[in-house]
Amino acid sequence: MANYSRGQIEDFLYHEAELIDSWQMKAWHQLYTEDAEYLIPPIEAPDADKNTALFIINDDYHRLVQRAIRLTKKSAHVEWPHSKVRHMINNVRIVSQSAEAVNVGYNQVVYRSKRGTDTFICHVTQTLIADGDSFKIRSKRVMLDLHALRPQGQVSIIL
Amino acid sequence: MNMPLDRGPDGFIRDDRQNNEFLVPRQAFTSDEVLAAERERIFSTCWIYAAHASEIPENNDYVSRKVGGRELIIARDSDGNINAMFNTCSHRGAMVGREPKGNNKALVCPYHGWTFNMAGKMVGQPADSGFPDDFFADGKKDLTHPAHVDVYRDFIFVNFDRAAGTLVDYLADAADYLDIVADQSAIGMEVTEGWQEYSMDANWKLLVENSADGYHAITTHASYFDYLQATNGAFRTDFNPTDVGGRCYSLGNGHAVIEYGAPWGRPVAQWVPQWGDEGKVAVEKLKADLVERHGEERAARIAEKNRNILIFPNLVINDIMALTIRTFQPISTDYMEIRAVSLAPKEEHPDVRRYRQYNFLEFLGPAGFATPDDVEMLQLCQMGYQNMPEVVWNDISKGMNRAENMGDDELQMRSFWRRWNELMSA
Repeated sequence: MANYSRGQIEDFLYHEAELIDSWQMKAWHQLYTEDAEYLIPPIEAPDADKNTALFIINDDYHRLVQRAIRLTKKSAHVEWPHSKVRHMINNVRIVSQSAEAVNVGYNQVVYRSKRGTDTFICHVTQTLIADGDSFKIRSKRVMLDLHALRPQGQVSIIL
Repeated sequence: MNMPLDRGPDGFIRDDRQNNEFLVPRQAFTSDEVLAAERERIFSTCWIYAAHASEIPENNDYVSRKVGGRELIIARDSDGNINAMFNTCSHRGAMVGREPKGNNKALVCPYHGWTFNMAGKMVGQPADSGFPDDFFADGKKDLTHPAHVDVYRDFIFVNFDRAAGTLVDYLADAADYLDIVADQSAIGMEVTEGWQEYSMDANWKLLVENSADGYHAITTHASYFDYLQATNGAFRTDFNPTDVGGRCYSLGNGHAVIEYGAPWGRPVAQWVPQWGDEGKVAVEKLKADLVERHGEERAARIAEKNRNILIFPNLVINDIMALTIRTFQPISTDYMEIRAVSLAPKEEHPDVRRYRQYNFLEFLGPAGFATPDDVEMLQLCQMGYQNMPEVVWNDISKGMNRAENMGDDELQMRSFWRRWNELMSA
């Protein structure tokens, strides 16, 4: 794998965020590899093992695709009408890169507005693999820097 | 207490068994006076679930959390006894337990250093003068305990009323259902790592109603059923959808349950093709063990039936594609805090544990494929209640016209509300 610059990584992360924020759910799930995982670990145990602990989100590829499809439906009541979503990404670091993959970390604030506005403060790790001129996501782990999901109450959008 | 509810012949509800109509006043969800009365007449007199014994397995383990509007510490002391204490220093009131869980030989108040052992006994403070020699000797500066703490099959409950009856009498027929939960393990159930703490902008009783509501599933959760349809092997192959129906039972003292067939996999113990051949071996072994311990009939009931159990006033145990203990605390009339955990057999095979934790999240929790839509419905209800005084009543009549209640009837809510009404309108 090439020696990627932070700018290349940032371009990709901003692209993913734009797809989520503009509700392009199919294009979003197509960013993921077929062995991908999308995780939100328990707030108090961000390093927990998904095979033993109760997570908030523990999606394999099948379920993250279904999550994306669900969010396009009127019957996903919580997101119909769609809320307004905006991702703010910063402190992007390349943690490591090898021939196979690049591991990145960043901080993220996500705003969701519907009736009121909820704020999700998080730090995120992603494992990316090369895909032509861009990347695919093999792993995305979103760790919530909150005391509890209060007053947000839920994670009904993609973080 | 001066409640703004209109008192009729049945109290604050309308329980018309002639015309099979059951009505609940919407002001019960919006009035500050009603919530204040609930704190006094319900949360200060009923047995309130506090913790599961597996959360404090070792001596000197403790958890601290809101229970029934109080801040409590539930601790296992150095002799292994389970204690409940109010989380407030006997000196000037600061909370002495500041972590959600821990293991300490003593709780040291961070304000002036008053120190208590894990049974709540005052054992020291830093000043060497200013108090008579025997000032702390008679226990009057110990942490205060709720009037009662008792444990049923590892479920720890407290009661703040000195005059309360026993826990087992209070549980009435719901005790049988706690047995069915506890009997899923030969050696004991445990709360797994990771808790879900979230909130809803809705009255706490809306979540009571919703947690065992079979009627809303096909409408509210249409997108969840789409997900199941799109998931290879998520259903048992021999499942007959007409079996789902199930039954609803009132269990006494406001407790109730719906019990129904499970189309999906159950970690204890109903295999589905999604879990593969190895999973089949593990789950069939579990089923065989259940048969050995409990006989064919009870084993089949434990393994293949789902149960949504309501224990009055604020404990929900959903024994479905995973097992959740969910409890919730009213903060204001339109805001509650919710805490949910996953319960599993201590001896569970790692593969089965993995299915359990994966399955749990397909439906349940603040990012599941169903719970967020429930939250949305409850918040829509709460907002709809602003249309008072013109629109006064909720209807909870479904199934009143038949003797045996179906799983999608509303008997379980009527059971809750009848008990609520007895306590509130007495």
